[in-house]
Amino acid sequence: MSITDEFTKGLWQTIPPFRLVLGLCPTLAVTTSGINGMGMGLATTFVLVFSNLFVSLLRRFIPSQVRIASFIVIIASFVVIVELVMQAYFYPLFKILGIFIPLIVVNCIILGRAEAFASKQNPLASLADGLGIGLGFTISLFVLGCIRELLGSGTLLEIPVMWSSFEPFTFMLKPPGAFVALGILLATMNLISQVQARKGGGR
Amino acid sequence: MRDILKMIIVLTIIGAVSGLALSLVYEGTKAPIEYQTIKFVKEPAVKKVLTGYDNDPIADRKKIRIGEDERGTPIELIIFPAKKAGATFAVALEGKGKGFGGLIGVMVGVSKKGTVLDIGITSHSETPGIGARVSETFFTERFKGLTTDREVTVDGISGATYSSKGVMSAVTQALGYVTTFSKEIF
Repeated sequence: MSITDEFTKGLWQTIPPFRLVLGLCPTLAVTTSGINGMGMGLATTFVLVFSNLFVSLLRRFIPSQVRIASFIVIIASFVVIVELVMQAYFYPLFKILGIFIPLIVVNCIILGRAEAFASKQNPLASLADGLGIGLGFTISLFVLGCIRELLGSGTLLEIPVMWSSFEPFTFMLKPPGAFVALGILLATMNLISQVQARKGGGR
Repeated sequence: MRDILKMIIVLTIIGAVSGLALSLVYEGTKAPIEYQTIKFVKEPAVKKVLTGYDNDPIADRKKIRIGEDERGTPIELIIFPAKKAGATFAVALEGKGKGFGGLIGVMVGVSKKGTVLDIGITSHSETPGIGARVSETFFTERFKGLTTDREVTVDGISGATYSSKGVMSAVTQALGYVTTFSKEIF
């Protein structure tokens, strides 16, 4: 696969958390608004890109028996960097995302990419993979956040957009609402894929 | 044997490099983080407990030395003075007390005479709906009018005794600082 393919596969083919059903915990927990979803997505992308790069650079140097421990140390370091930088420059967002920032350490997407991809591929491909998967995750969280925000509080990016008599479905902001929104999105994506496959002659 | 040695060396190097990088980032973000916490956590509390000032208590904040830890690093306390026509008539300062779920931070506004003007909870990890009720106005206003020369006691919230006591001991600590360091504070 070329570098561009490595990058674009994360945006549709293996877009997390829909295709790559990993990292559901932050997906369900923080997507109460578009901004929150995007913040979480970008923080994860940063960690993913740099952990992929470093895991790939060090892949010949790390003995396979301690690879998981090494990956976790690398990932955890970048998570702490994100946490500190966010606290220093985006304090309100840091407050909202709270515990889910340190929990990026145990996000399966990141360890999954390190183990399944970056530890076997060259740094450039790993960088493209990390960026693609990360942006895919950001887009998913942003879209999910926007849907929940629109239905749950009647705003889009904190700007009221619904008509005045609109009664917000507060249910959408609660955890069960996250499952429902995620399910509907997943179903829509499967539908699009099916239609595409039929058009393309049953690929 | 060689394998084990290699594992140990590699993990040690990775850990050491990470540690070094993190300490650099920590040093670099220390000042902005302090500023952000003051702006977003302390400022609302300071504004709540002080009234009638014509200066900016956040910009005029000063640090006083209240002691040192076992390593000899000075422990500092931030004082937010409220001034009118250039004279400090009250200060806001933070005390900490042990609640049910950890330390409770309480911003206390104290007048020059040593009377509590108002208090505001800055940080806590009490149980939502039970202990967390200590941050509500009906409880915090019970502290108004307490003085530095008497023991800090108010009616606690039933079902939240530990949390109420935590707030009381935080206020006691803050008032204690006022008594001990009154020269530096005012």
